[in-house]
Amino acid sequence: MSLLTEKKPAAGVPVPQSKRPGPARRKGAAGRFAVSGFLWVYAVIAVAPLLVMVVSSLRTTREMARNPLALPLNPNFASYSKAWVEASFGTFFVNSLLVTVGSVLISTIVSLMAAYVLARSKSRVTGIIEAVFLSGLMLPVYLAILPVFYLLDSMGLVDNKFGLIMVYAALSIPFSVFVLTSFFRQLPLELEEAARIDGAGSFTMFWHIMLPLVKPAIATVVVFRFVPIWNDFFYPLILMRSKENYTLPVGLTTFFGEYQTDWPTLFAGLVIATIPLVVLFLVATKQIVAGLTAGMSK
Amino acid sequence: MKVRPRHLIAALALAMLPLTACAPGSSSPAADKAAGTNASGCTSPETLKVWSWRPEDVAAYKKIFTSYEEKNCVKVDFQAFKNTEYNQILSTGLTGSNGPDVVQARAYGALQPLIVGGNLTDITGKVEGLDGMDKTIVTGAQGKADGKTYGVPFATQTMQVFYNKKIFKDEGVEVPTSWDDFIKVNEKIQGSGMTPLAVGAKDAWMMPFIHDIFGSAEYGGKDFRDGVQTGKKTFTDAKYVSSIQNLKDLQGFMPKDVVGASYTDAQVLFTNEQAAMFPGGSFELGFFQKQNPELDLGVFQVPVRSTSASQQPVSAAYADGNWAINAKSPKQEASLKLLQWMASKEFGQHVVDDLKQFSPVAGVTFNDPVMKEIWDLYQKSPAPYTLLVDFRYGTPSGTDLMGSGVQELFLGSKDAAGVAQKVQDGVSQWFKPTS
Amino acid sequence: MVQADQLSRPKPRKRSPRPAGTALGWPATVIFLAPAVIIFAVFVLLPMITAFSYSFFDWQGTARGAFSGIENFFTLFTAEPFKSDLPRALMHNLLLFAGAMVFQNTVGLAIASFLYKRKRFKKLFQTLYTLPYLVSPLVIGYLWTLLLSPLFGPVNALLKAIGLGELAQPWLGQPSTALWVIVLVTAWQWLGFPILLYGAALGGIPEELTEAASLDGATAWQRFRSITLPLLTSAIGTVSILTFIGSMEALALPYAMGGSTGSPAGATDVLSLMFYRTAFESGASNAIGVSSALATMMFIFIFGVALAFTSIIRRRERKLS
Repeated sequence: MSLLTEKKPAAGVPVPQSKRPGPARRKGAAGRFAVSGFLWVYAVIAVAPLLVMVVSSLRTTREMARNPLALPLNPNFASYSKAWVEASFGTFFVNSLLVTVGSVLISTIVSLMAAYVLARSKSRVTGIIEAVFLSGLMLPVYLAILPVFYLLDSMGLVDNKFGLIMVYAALSIPFSVFVLTSFFRQLPLELEEAARIDGAGSFTMFWHIMLPLVKPAIATVVVFRFVPIWNDFFYPLILMRSKENYTLPVGLTTFFGEYQTDWPTLFAGLVIATIPLVVLFLVATKQIVAGLTAGMSK
Repeated sequence: MKVRPRHLIAALALAMLPLTACAPGSSSPAADKAAGTNASGCTSPETLKVWSWRPEDVAAYKKIFTSYEEKNCVKVDFQAFKNTEYNQILSTGLTGSNGPDVVQARAYGALQPLIVGGNLTDITGKVEGLDGMDKTIVTGAQGKADGKTYGVPFATQTMQVFYNKKIFKDEGVEVPTSWDDFIKVNEKIQGSGMTPLAVGAKDAWMMPFIHDIFGSAEYGGKDFRDGVQTGKKTFTDAKYVSSIQNLKDLQGFMPKDVVGASYTDAQVLFTNEQAAMFPGGSFELGFFQKQNPELDLGVFQVPVRSTSASQQPVSAAYADGNWAINAKSPKQEASLKLLQWMASKEFGQHVVDDLKQFSPVAGVTFNDPVMKEIWDLYQKSPAPYTLLVDFRYGTPSGTDLMGSGVQELFLGSKDAAGVAQKVQDGVSQWFKPTS
Repeated sequence: MVQADQLSRPKPRKRSPRPAGTALGWPATVIFLAPAVIIFAVFVLLPMITAFSYSFFDWQGTARGAFSGIENFFTLFTAEPFKSDLPRALMHNLLLFAGAMVFQNTVGLAIASFLYKRKRFKKLFQTLYTLPYLVSPLVIGYLWTLLLSPLFGPVNALLKAIGLGELAQPWLGQPSTALWVIVLVTAWQWLGFPILLYGAALGGIPEELTEAASLDGATAWQRFRSITLPLLTSAIGTVSILTFIGSMEALALPYAMGGSTGSPAGATDVLSLMFYRTAFESGASNAIGVSSALATMMFIFIFGVALAFTSIIRRRERKLS
């Protein structure tokens, strides 16, 4: 991703004829309106089904069966209390938080360190290591469930959040290394060379100079690993046995089984399970967007 | 540098990490080992881990096990997992350490990998109650290759048509006694704008199910199945084809675009009284009654034609699953005792009363009138749910083939003969008749 | 930037001589790489290789049997149901990829290019577009299945209400529309990621280029095609590879919308569903062997294509610079 270095225009840019700017300005207003409209329309498409989910959680199954399109005339909040009480969402939420934050933290830290070296090194060995990491991106993750289980079993880490954290951290390394290495590669070498001349050690260089420059990449990596780990139900299902250790998605799937036809309660549970992630994302999105745009307009 | 919130979270998480590693699982091994059955009292009960795929039944099972716990100085740790993920959880549970002691295991073909892999304890001849059970049901707990018994069946499921008595009364129709009557009943109900048959074909597993409900008597139930086993008949038999054709003939009475309707949609149609009939398994009864306690429902067996292979309507049935012992469990004796209790009338009666399931144990009584009706019909003329009972021992399984085959039938891309051929071609990949 | 006098100053040699090519000394390199390598090797690489090795054995349930060479792979191509399911599932995966690419590179790119220059509501839009991505794919799948139900779903009810009743069909109940529904829902869920990435890439294109071109009178479209697009090659390449991998391995959404058999009648069957069915739902005793063989082949295929694709992209990038 060559985002930061300036480039000459590609060979093949047509030599344009000169035109008067007049008509372009008048077209601009109409064009802007069309663009706005397009953006809003797609925003509605993006959000509408989720809104339906929220609205449906406030109706009853009978209402929905008879009249799929109506609004809840008598909002029925019983579905939320049912979902919260019967489904132990509190415990699951805390577990999800611990596991997700733990694994994202570990994988981001180790990937940062590895990516820095991989980006700067030209030796064959590190090249091979990088290729191995990248091939990890292509591994069908569900395939290894049995061997992973036996591995953790031999370590005594089944039904143990730490085991799950390590597995998720390991699975996140390929993607994190992928994104971080390309960002590191964009950074000009001169900064490091200058720092070396001033006598900086590797670690100082890493911590004080390189890290702040790749903050947007870190934010991207964190968000795009946080979400899939938070929503994963397959690994905790097999690796966790006791209900106290379940994460939110696993709790949800058992919930699904029991309330298949009790749509409002089902939707209420889904809304409850999604809201924390939305809140977390809203908090983080400012960082990502600010970081991405700030980093770009160097 | 807005790093402070992240620093906080990071610090918190780092602090908690060592805690997560130290937190043990729910049961500590130390307590388990201290098993003690004193003659006088019970000071240290042995814990038995029991696994099931019925999260819907957790509360009821906990109640049922209390009576056993008191009498036998045992604590039952009952855990249920979602049906669709149970298989993977079970395989890892049976092969890892700290696994369960007694498990619910699938029946017939789906049981074989566990037997072949040596995961279950052989209990042939060790459980008395098995002798009183229906043979079709006990086969579900046996190894195909070695013929040994590995489990105690826990429920029989029968297949019939549920109907809404109130709608029938309003429409002025009665339970049909012949196939033509049956068609007329459907036409009358449809004429007044109500959906006659609540069926959702989106879920392929339900298709071989309704095929047996509407077609078992047509193709001859048990006699046909015995014929296929011995090689005298195949699935391309004329009567089998016409049993599939039955479904096509009834498609008009099912919801429009039936392949787009899901199984849960069909359930909702019936419980909401927007459809008159629901072809389904006995496991639906408890569910229907819970969803709509005012629903006045009854059951009947699908009537026959004069040309049907069997002149008697039947209730197809199968064993739902078995209780089995983990071969790696350190508590073989206690587990076997539990299994023996599960084959007893006491447990069977609990299954009927508390779980609303049909226990295969001999001598149980049914207090719910609808349950009694279902059971009586089944006892009168039983049949095996052929594709599930006998044709899941290899890949492709008979039920899978019929599942997508019926979908193609409803979509119009195959006719009844084509579907029958598909089933025959598929199972002949691995099925060899016994003589 | 480096200044002339710094270049002429001799660099102090405080460290041991570095081998050619490494920016850091070997000790530092090892320390920096070790944690990631160890964690990855132990928890992912080792289990994966073990899982791949399963494909070369014959299995009796969960007990490993005799070494069987490539027999399991053979089975995938010669025995039913694999023989007919495999090519069909692969075709569906490729269609998923094609559909996703079209959607992301038209709607996604368009949105990203409209957004990155805006000031008003920019954050709101970005959040709204990314919202579907936050919800678990399983949940999304079940949600859309309910929305599209021909009996109870609001979508068909809405179509009928606004007079477009003829368009109301069983979207997930017929082979002609079922797969495309999954394509669209997948695209709808993932769009946030390409938008973010393209937005970042667009932000990196120097304004002087586009300004100069517009001063010379090039239209928006000409500017886009000749300046913006070529400079986006790298970002498009990244998005494409990730989309390819995602499409080949798609499991949660197809499972939630079509079940493990790929209803209706296998019209939504994909390779991962085949794996899931074979590994966990079949009664065959060699389930582990055959399913591992399938997953191994998937990996080799994805790896091969990704490798070829990356080298093509790199070549284009080098041509541009």
